Order: sequence, then C-alpha cells, then structure tokens
Amino acid sequence: MVWRTATVAQVIEESPSARTLVLDVPEWPGHRAGQHVDVRLTAEDGYQAERSYSIASAPESSTLQLTVEVIADGEVSPYLGQEVRAGDRLEVRGPIGGHFSWTVSDGGPLLLVGGGSGLVPLMSMLRHRASQASEVEARLLVSARSQDDLLYRAELGELDPAAGLAVFQTYTRTAPPGWSGWQRRVDASMLAEVDPGPGAHCFVCGPTPFVEGVTHLLVAAGHENHRIHAERFGPTGG
Amino acid sequence: MDDVHTDGNAIAGLLSQLLAVDATSIARRCQSCGDERPIADHRAYHGAGIVLRCPSCSDVALVIGIGAADVTVELRGTFQVAVGP
Repeated sequence: MVWRTATVAQVIEESPSARTLVLDVPEWPGHRAGQHVDVRLTAEDGYQAERSYSIASAPESSTLQLTVEVIADGEVSPYLGQEVRAGDRLEVRGPIGGHFSWTVSDGGPLLLVGGGSGLVPLMSMLRHRASQASEVEARLLVSARSQDDLLYRAELGELDPAAGLAVFQTYTRTAPPGWSGWQRRVDASMLAEVDPGPGAHCFVCGPTPFVEGVTHLLVAAGHENHRIHAERFGPTGG
Repeated sequence: MDDVHTDGNAIAGLLSQLLAVDATSIARRCQSCGDERPIADHRAYHGAGIVLRCPSCSDVALVIGIGAADVTVELRGTFQVAVGP
C-alpha cells in the first residue's frame, strides 16, 4: 500500500475540538464505509509521525474527508485539528481495515453505536446508505459530552427518519436546555431501546473504555461476537 | 503491562507493509484457548513495539518490533489467510 500526497481542499469546523479535513487525493482507489487511513507528517528535520483517522465521507464522495478531534498534548492531532490550512499537503495511506466496514449490499438491520469522535466511521456508513437511497433499517446511538461536542449535528437532524433510520443521542456531561432525552453513559436499558434485535450488524466505535463497555452489553443482550464489529481509539499519542 | 489498549484495526496500516491482504479480517485461532477471532477483535498494546493479544484469553498473538531500519513481526497461533478471486 503506497503513501499518497493529499492536498487539503477545505477545512470544516465541526465542534470546538474537531475539524473535518476535505482532501483531494490523486488516484485514490476508493474505500468502503467504515475504513480508515494512516496520515503521516514529516517535520523539517525528517522526524515522522503516523496516526490513524477514520474516513467520514461516503465512498460516493469525490473527496476524502477525515474528521480529526484534537487530543490535548497530542503530537499530530493539534496540527491537523488546529493549524492545517487549505492548500497544505499531507501523506495518506489507505484505505485500511475491511473488518470494520459496511456496504448496502451487506444488508441490515444496522446498530451503530458511537462515542465522541467514534461517530466518524459510522457517519460514513450513514452517508453511504443515504447516497444509495438504501432503506436498510438503521439505528444510530451517539454518546457525546454535550451538544456542542456532537459532530455533524445539523446533518444528523436532516437524515430522513422515514427511510428506516432512527438517531438517538445521549449527553454525558451537559445537556442542552429543555433536553428531555438521555443524560448518562450508554447502559443496558438504553441499548435495549435502540437495539433492532438479534441478527443486527453491530458497529461500535469510540475510546477503548466506551467500546469495551458497549460490546460487553451487546454480548449480554444476545448479539453474537461475529456480528459485533468494534474499533477502539486509544491514547496512542494523539 | 499498561492496561490501555486499542485493537487490531490500529495496526492494519503497519501490517499492510507485509501482507497483500487486509489484516483486520484475517481469522486467527489461538493456540492457547482455541478461539478463532479476526485480527480486528484482538487487543493491541502499544509500547516500544506492539503486542497483539487474544481477546478471549490474552495470550500473545503477534509481536511487532519497530526498529530504525525495519519492522519485524512474530506470529503465534494459526492465521487463516484467504485471497479473493
């Protein structure tokens, strides 16, 4: 797999701590929703750092979009999340990871559970599903610290509930005024309300403790291991 | 060992330097507990190198050494690698 030079076409502010980098990647081979790329930065002295970022865009998109959340004291994410400008160049390698991926022909129902920026690869799946006008039953549960931290908030609100999609949110730190929904971490009773039932393709992405907790709950609720696809974001230096 | 880990997805880019197929979907049967799970489900512990462990019994599945000049990979257990048409 080769490193390709990507050019930043646009930067979109998603939240106080996250930005989407819209990249033009010549000869990009295409990807499946859910996959990620490695990004490599090279300093003037030759020092290199690599990090993995999930692809946010649908395979149908003409650009490759990565949403980067800034990890405080991180080595790479502060640069990508705060300093990169349109016209800058980055090296990317991918797409990577066929296990955590979904295409409409895989069918459903889908149970997507994201914590924080774990929403990113799940959004690629929902964008792909929308691009294909798929009506595969899909349930998305997003756990965010607050409404400001919820990525793609406007777009999530516009996704059509009539087309077999239901979006659920829980706010773990601060709920918006008048919010009557969930204000706690994902637990068994919450999952039970979202869960389309046994046989669902489950995709869980987020920080490691979040993913560990949710996957254990899914197994306890009767989901089989081979239908639970998980991806963990660890503190690997940000 | 540090209890903070990621999973097999996180090392797939690295393994793409060595394998012609997607590493995350490779099924590995653990020589210790006998469970067969995809590499994506294994736990990855990051240090000077990377140690991948069985999600069922924590036995070592794979050790990656990252040196200045090369990357070395030691595999344990059986890995079922399939290549599509």
